[in-house]
Amino acid sequence: MWLGFQTRRHYCELSMTLLIISQILNGLATGMLYALLAVGLTLILGVLNIPNFAHGALYAFGAYFTFMIASFTESFYLAILIAPFLVVLIGFLIESQGVRRLYAAHHDYQLLFLFAVALILQELIIVFWGPVGFSLLPPDDLAGAVDLGIIIYPKYRIALLIFSALVILALFFFINKTDLGAILRAGIENREMVTVLGIDINRVFLLTFGLGAYLAGLAGGLATPILGLTPSMGLDILPICFVVVVVAGLGSIPGAIIAGILVGLSQSITTIWWPEATNVVIYVMMGLTIILRPQGLFGSR
Amino acid sequence: MRRQRRTIRRSLLAGLALALTATASFAVQIGAVQAADDEVVILGIWPQSGPYADTGPLLDRGARIALNEVGHKVAGKKIKYITRDSETKAGIAARRAQGAIESDGVKFIVGPWSSGVALAVTEVAKKNKIMYYFSGGTEDISGKRCHKYAFMWAANAWTAMDANLKIFKKANPDAKSIYLFVVDYAFGWTLQKYVETLAPKYGLKVVGVDRHPLGHREYSSFIVKAMAKNPDAVYMINFGLDAISAVRQLHNFGFTPKKPVVLSWSSGVEELVQMDAKMRANLIVGTNYYYTVDTPENKAFVEAYKKQSGGIPPGYGPGAGYGLMKMVLRGMNKANSVEPVDVIKALEGEKGKNFVGDFYINGRNHQTVRPFFVLRTKPESKMANKYDFADIVDVSSTEQPRDMNQCKDIGGF
Repeated sequence: MWLGFQTRRHYCELSMTLLIISQILNGLATGMLYALLAVGLTLILGVLNIPNFAHGALYAFGAYFTFMIASFTESFYLAILIAPFLVVLIGFLIESQGVRRLYAAHHDYQLLFLFAVALILQELIIVFWGPVGFSLLPPDDLAGAVDLGIIIYPKYRIALLIFSALVILALFFFINKTDLGAILRAGIENREMVTVLGIDINRVFLLTFGLGAYLAGLAGGLATPILGLTPSMGLDILPICFVVVVVAGLGSIPGAIIAGILVGLSQSITTIWWPEATNVVIYVMMGLTIILRPQGLFGSR
Repeated sequence: MRRQRRTIRRSLLAGLALALTATASFAVQIGAVQAADDEVVILGIWPQSGPYADTGPLLDRGARIALNEVGHKVAGKKIKYITRDSETKAGIAARRAQGAIESDGVKFIVGPWSSGVALAVTEVAKKNKIMYYFSGGTEDISGKRCHKYAFMWAANAWTAMDANLKIFKKANPDAKSIYLFVVDYAFGWTLQKYVETLAPKYGLKVVGVDRHPLGHREYSSFIVKAMAKNPDAVYMINFGLDAISAVRQLHNFGFTPKKPVVLSWSSGVEELVQMDAKMRANLIVGTNYYYTVDTPENKAFVEAYKKQSGGIPPGYGPGAGYGLMKMVLRGMNKANSVEPVDVIKALEGEKGKNFVGDFYINGRNHQTVRPFFVLRTKPESKMANKYDFADIVDVSSTEQPRDMNQCKDIGGF
């Protein structure tokens, strides 16, 4: 009987170990999506010094454009390719016709403007697509689940994890190895100096906002087979974006990536023992970061 | 520069606060006009923002159809119908209901949608002696929080869970285990209690329960836990976008269509229409209303609704809005009065037929005993039209056993 108990205890521990490994995989997949969003938000915040409250709405538009193009062309891949660029156009419009006119104004006006833009974009979604949500299935070759031995896991989420990682790697290369990336990094460090060096700062701002919008739109498109589409999806994701950015530290792109993954992991691991606190835990993380390390885990300012 | 960075950080945190509380509704109610002598004021308190914001306008639409049927007149009085946004927040809804009673002379309240909010609004109704009719999952309105002024339109939770489990077992005779996803507030807790009590009656064991926050969208962690227990079905006690998100992700994980998912308290059409046909495969759906109910009154309601909805038939949301208003109007007509006490007395023990079928109102606890519908979704190849999502496979009006009901004394006026 003692041996039976030990065998059952060993089996329970093995099951718990497998569950934890499964949740880590889950957290990574969710976290990569958060990381994509957070990097876009961090870029805009770092270079323009403005928290982009319209970031969630751009994410939502990315989702809806993806749905629209995929429905029309019957190709999810084509939709994912095109939709983020449509969101970039919206980003360009917001920056060139709105935010740019407010750079000289008090910071509060910029915040209010972007908040208004977020609400306007949400209402436009209802105008164009209606208040009822939609679902978009993954493409056929990524539908269903695959047995990984320790877990049966959706093919789409595995693809999402790999693709997001590749995008982030490409972004990392762009930021660190290209001239334009160097200008963006310089803009984050000291935008006044960038201007003094004769670089057209307005163009830098426009490109940064566009890049942030692209990442938001891409994240929205990638999220549709998992989270579906609703007019309020932008508002749902925005608090998580801000939490990631606060935890990461202002203007830290590597930080945004790691913090995004940490937030995803914290949610999934919390589910094992305290599922009711799945949402609360990320705000606890943020609170602790502010108290213990106000500059964020990876920020310097 | 340092000041600017502090400003940015403050702005970020302020922005987070704004984003968390951001709503699309700025329902500023102005006016302190008391009810005229020739009118009765009815308040519809619906979620126009927050987690159930997609359902609020539909509830309101259902209520207005009922009012249009009587030309906004009852018992010789004009009906003034006003609405307030509950925001799915108990404090805000209670404050707005109280404000409407004081400023607009409200005498009857229908709504909200969330059980948690309803438990706050019922106290406002009790305190102000206002008749209140609610449709939701918490049994407390006709249970331990019962009082003379409050009525429940939705089927009792016990009735509903019994019907769902019965049909699930009938459709899956070899099934032995279920895993519960439960939304973490009053509605979820009530239904969970009855599922756990009733499951053994049908030879089923609850092998796991996960409570998730209201408004949750990412269920992969819960699904991984559930699949580790290898249940024969996932039994969901949640609603609206929560339920849709969970069904979508259960499908992503390959749980359905191999194994069934039970949506135990569904809005029916409003949820099913947001799912792809493949996602809808192998679902058992329990609901207080489905548009194919075969009564003349329901057919008329469905036609009136479709004219306003671009052809989409009504689900539980608008059905509840319509049903709540119809019951209030029925009481007013029977009493030939618009005074809450008269209408309440008229409704206690009332029997008859309405748009969902036979009903009666138990005078002891003010529970409307009426049909609860269990549906099975059909494959796309068998759909007669794009809204032909499911067939009604069972209708249950079994009343909750008296000894299980916690309304011991409904009190007086």
